[in-house]
Amino acid sequence: MDFEIDPQAPEAIVRRDFVKRLTAAGAAALASGAPQMVYGDGLKHPEAKADACILLWMGGGMAAPDTFDPKRYAPFKNGMAVNDVLSTFPAIPTAVEGIEICEGLENIAKVMDRGTLIRSVVQPDLGSILHSRHQYHWHTGYVPPQTVACPHLGSWLARVLGRNNEVMPAFINIGQRLEGVGEKEELKAFTTAGFFGSEYGPMNLPFPEQAASVVRPPAGMSNQRFSNRDKLFRSLVQESSLKEYASDYQQESLLRSMDNAYRLLSSKEREAFDIGQEPPEVQAIYNTSRFGRGCLLARRLVENGARFVEVTTEYVPFLHWDTHANGHETVKRLHSEIDKPIAQLVLDLEQRKLLDRTLVIIASEFSRDAIVEGVPGSIAADQATHKVDRITEPKHYGLHRHFTGGTSVMMFGGGVKQGHLYGRTAEERPLVAVENPVTITDLHATIMTAMGVSPKTQFDIEGRPFYVTQDGKGKSVNAIFAS
Amino acid sequence: MLRFIAFLGLLAWPFAGQASAVDFAHQIVPILKTHCVECHGGEEAEGGFSLNTRELFLESDAALPRKAAESHFLQLIQSDDPDAMMPPADQPRVSDEQFALLSQWVNEGMRWEPGFSFGKPRYQPPFRPRRPELPHTTGNPQHPVDRWINHYLAEHQRPALEPASDSVFLRRVHLDLVGLMPTAEQAQAFLADTSPDKRTKLVDQLLADNLGYTEHWLTFWNDLLRNDYDGTGFITGGRTQISRWLYNALLANKPFDQMVRELIAPPNKESAGFINGIKWRGTVSAGQTLPIQFSQSVSQSFLGINMKCASCHDSFIARWTLKDAYGLAAIYSDQPLELHRCDKPTGQTAQASWLFPEIGQIDPQANKQERLQQLANLMVHPENGRVPRTIVNRLWGQLMGRGIVHPLDAMQTEPWYPELLDYLAADFQDNGYDLKRTIRLIATSQAYQSRSESVQQPDATVFEFQGPNAKRLTAEQFRDIVWQITQSAPSSLDAPIERGIVAPELAKELSFASSWIWGSTVDNGAPAAGEKVLLWRSFQLKKPIEKAVLVASVDNAYTLYFNGKKALSGDNWQQLQVTDLTKQVKASGENQIVIVAENQGSSPNLAAAFCALWLKHQDGSVERIATDDSWSSSLKIPPGSGKNKWQPKLAQLEAEPARVLDSSVWKNNIDPQIGPALVKVATGQAFPIRAALLKADDFMRTLGRPNRDQIVTSRPSELTTLEALSLSTNEKLMAELQQGAQLMLDLELPPNRLIDHIYLTVLTRYPTGQEKQLVASHIADQADVSSISDVMWALFMSPEFQMVR
Repeated sequence: MDFEIDPQAPEAIVRRDFVKRLTAAGAAALASGAPQMVYGDGLKHPEAKADACILLWMGGGMAAPDTFDPKRYAPFKNGMAVNDVLSTFPAIPTAVEGIEICEGLENIAKVMDRGTLIRSVVQPDLGSILHSRHQYHWHTGYVPPQTVACPHLGSWLARVLGRNNEVMPAFINIGQRLEGVGEKEELKAFTTAGFFGSEYGPMNLPFPEQAASVVRPPAGMSNQRFSNRDKLFRSLVQESSLKEYASDYQQESLLRSMDNAYRLLSSKEREAFDIGQEPPEVQAIYNTSRFGRGCLLARRLVENGARFVEVTTEYVPFLHWDTHANGHETVKRLHSEIDKPIAQLVLDLEQRKLLDRTLVIIASEFSRDAIVEGVPGSIAADQATHKVDRITEPKHYGLHRHFTGGTSVMMFGGGVKQGHLYGRTAEERPLVAVENPVTITDLHATIMTAMGVSPKTQFDIEGRPFYVTQDGKGKSVNAIFAS
Repeated sequence: MLRFIAFLGLLAWPFAGQASAVDFAHQIVPILKTHCVECHGGEEAEGGFSLNTRELFLESDAALPRKAAESHFLQLIQSDDPDAMMPPADQPRVSDEQFALLSQWVNEGMRWEPGFSFGKPRYQPPFRPRRPELPHTTGNPQHPVDRWINHYLAEHQRPALEPASDSVFLRRVHLDLVGLMPTAEQAQAFLADTSPDKRTKLVDQLLADNLGYTEHWLTFWNDLLRNDYDGTGFITGGRTQISRWLYNALLANKPFDQMVRELIAPPNKESAGFINGIKWRGTVSAGQTLPIQFSQSVSQSFLGINMKCASCHDSFIARWTLKDAYGLAAIYSDQPLELHRCDKPTGQTAQASWLFPEIGQIDPQANKQERLQQLANLMVHPENGRVPRTIVNRLWGQLMGRGIVHPLDAMQTEPWYPELLDYLAADFQDNGYDLKRTIRLIATSQAYQSRSESVQQPDATVFEFQGPNAKRLTAEQFRDIVWQITQSAPSSLDAPIERGIVAPELAKELSFASSWIWGSTVDNGAPAAGEKVLLWRSFQLKKPIEKAVLVASVDNAYTLYFNGKKALSGDNWQQLQVTDLTKQVKASGENQIVIVAENQGSSPNLAAAFCALWLKHQDGSVERIATDDSWSSSLKIPPGSGKNKWQPKLAQLEAEPARVLDSSVWKNNIDPQIGPALVKVATGQAFPIRAALLKADDFMRTLGRPNRDQIVTSRPSELTTLEALSLSTNEKLMAELQQGAQLMLDLELPPNRLIDHIYLTVLTRYPTGQEKQLVASHIADQADVSSISDVMWALFMSPEFQMVR
């Protein structure tokens, strides 16, 4: 793109200093019953270890035994008992002695010394597995349904911390289509700022390679015309017969928002949305899939001040990590899609001296197992496509049940210990967390703590307190932080 | 470039503040209630000490905020002296943990819930209706609302309201009552009209536009009743719509008491979706089971009560208890319902009951249907003033930008003018719960027709009425107006309704299920890709007809010939097509429908054809000729056929009976389109589709249309950055504006008049001289689609357009 910043771009219409511009977002939310943060001087927010967060989302249930928590390897053999399958990939060494992960993740293995691997995250038993319910829980900290629309993790950070950069949206969501996919309404239910209002909601970019078009003037509109149009708008507003309402809060917020939009559309930061500007050799490393390209986009956005970026392999029922059949082959493909981009993202951030202040998280709504649905003893219905005791075809080979008893979460940067392992699952089935189990609530508290937000942060909504971690009870797992 | 600016902790915090560790409502109130309130709260003030309010607490010097060590009440709690200790020696002690919490609370400044008191609440809303006498006031205006408002202003020593200009009123009343703009012609005519009652006439005229009224207010009701065409729960069959019922209720201006009855005790499944809530697969918390959702929804929508606190534990801030919440829930519950406190079972079983036993109670022995009926009766009981107050307050809020009670869902709050609310509610109740009557009453008042005030601080704690508040255009209004002005409304709707002003009998006639056929190849499974089949049928008219309308859809492609002439063709089976054949149908002799249908794709796949000819006879009776097993089929297509005469060629073919197919996929898509398509053609009405009839798309969501997973009764009042971004770049919007610009250019007006016309169309007023000059210099000598659409964009984005003043 050759879009120049218009040297004659008018100043903000509502002349306010920079601080006010940002806090105005907060003021905006005060309108008409919008929730307010509860003030008090009892508790301090922890000191932030990171300024930005990238969540790499393995939508559909990433099987820990086939990725970050290898167990006894049982290669495919015609006639083998399903019961004998724990991992369908052999373990490989990593840069950290004593930590092994699955074959296929060789590049991530090389950067294992930059992060902490948690192997003991556990999910509640919801009686029946519906991916989007667990995803809702993971992303908001609350199990649906809820009486109020719960904000996404990214919206909490946007609301409490604000923007890292005045023109860059705080919360950007890459790779998930919200139309044309199954459970789309259930996905929308948590891909939202909820009661915070859309100022804090996600900017959705389902296709990373098309992201640049979102922050460009509409197709067919020249830059000259775009800036002329803006000038006309501003001059007409100045001339409007509604000048008498100049101090009206609604009018102010409208003009401020139009102003913010124009600033982004004419800023140099908008170039961050264009992954085509990366050197071809860099693009090649990331170009494994839509997810891979999303990682590259996430890196560019964080470099330019995005606060929270989520990149997903995309949740589509029965696709990608949602392996109800043919699990081994599917995961092999997914390994190749995620391995290089994730490792490169970590290295790129490190090289740009951003890794220390950026928390990168690899996570999924739950794990998978060849036998157990939910947790041992759960009443959840078995959803595997082929219910066989003996594996007679390759499509039977894989982890086809949803497992909530022990899940891996990988974290890099953002103040976490380097080359550290936390928690453990059993070596034999059931592969439940047997050491230091971490609930979603505590995981949230940990992420919030890294970002400098107290897990007890609360807002008053409809006369009731609403906390960033469920009921304010989240306890940060401080053992994973470097001192 | 690196843009991490280290203002974290500096910039973000002014509004973030720091979170409180102690939560007054959940942690402190229970301790005080257990140990102190019996003697020092409510009517009791032993030793002259009452802790009903923070003020009273401090007045007695019992506590010093931020100084726990010096706070007398804490010293007494800690005292060992049996004569001085609190609670008294014979009472259970305050635990160490509780003491620590109290101390922390004091040290944090003794945060108190605003308005909360252990004594009687300051304001107790009346439950029964009240019928206050109209006051006498300056000028004694005729209009009752103005009598009240003038009285109010005089009492509060406020100046009289200034009337809004005609153009402001014109725009406001159109948007508020039918959600659309007046056309430039309507605007010109109204502005030029000099009759004194033209405003009242306009209100009546707009309210008489049943379609416009229905399709605008549908948004309000869908929000209030949590109804949508798509959303969580539908995927697993855990939710149903009330769309058709609601649409018809609004179209007929069904009395509100009747609506409430049919929603709470549904006579059939059409209105059952409201009380049945949203069922998620798997286990849900005790506070969100279907009976509890029922309790919360009924309370919020009709009573303005937030039962969400009380469905987990006794509300700390309102009078409602866990028992109340479960009592309502038990009305709905099929099984005995165990009370859960904060998700933990209590061992108690709920007894069906409702919240205001002073006018009657539910019989817990009755069966579910009877219990629902009893609740419905109590809700619309003549002595129930709460339900009418709640709804008229919502209507006032819709029209005036802010309720007489604010927030709308907290009816326990003191109204800024109780008498006005009582009057409106009683008027509503005494006149048959007529929604349009109340809307008219408000809209015809001087108060509504006055200048809007400039609000500097939303939600100011002290509110005084100074005129209507500006409202932001809803997502639906914005889409509708842009479509209206640019004539670019979408062509199909998502709401499963028969659209238009149709007599109920006709609506019934016009809605029917589709029936699908194909040739004999389907006997052996899916037909081959590329297979063509000929389907036909002949018929003779039995009686003279008034109207003949044909609808058709074929998976995948088709051409349809009627009496030898091509009548329809298409290759998108999801879009039902329609055409009027009244003139083509022969009164005597053979009529013939022939379809050449084609299966597409690369491998064998399902294929099917549907068409129906709807015939309305002059005697009023109706007949339908639709694809069924009486049709003939052939896999041989006569060469060169189609252009004119089929009959001789068809007669030579070896015809086989068509095979009837059954698939819900086709039906689900096509059946909802039949009624609307026929209505449009059969009644000669072609109204642009309105946004309220569509599923929420990304753009509408961005503009504030809520996910209707919960009841959300107010829309965001402000424009956000992401919305502004969408409005600046959305390609669909840009295409619509270009289409609108072309329409403007097609008028071939001289530049001066063109600008007038644009202003009248978009802003319902003429431009000022200065504005005209700015626009003219923007257009310069290039009045083309680009420049005009940019002018329209600038006006669409202006606060004057985005808000309803």
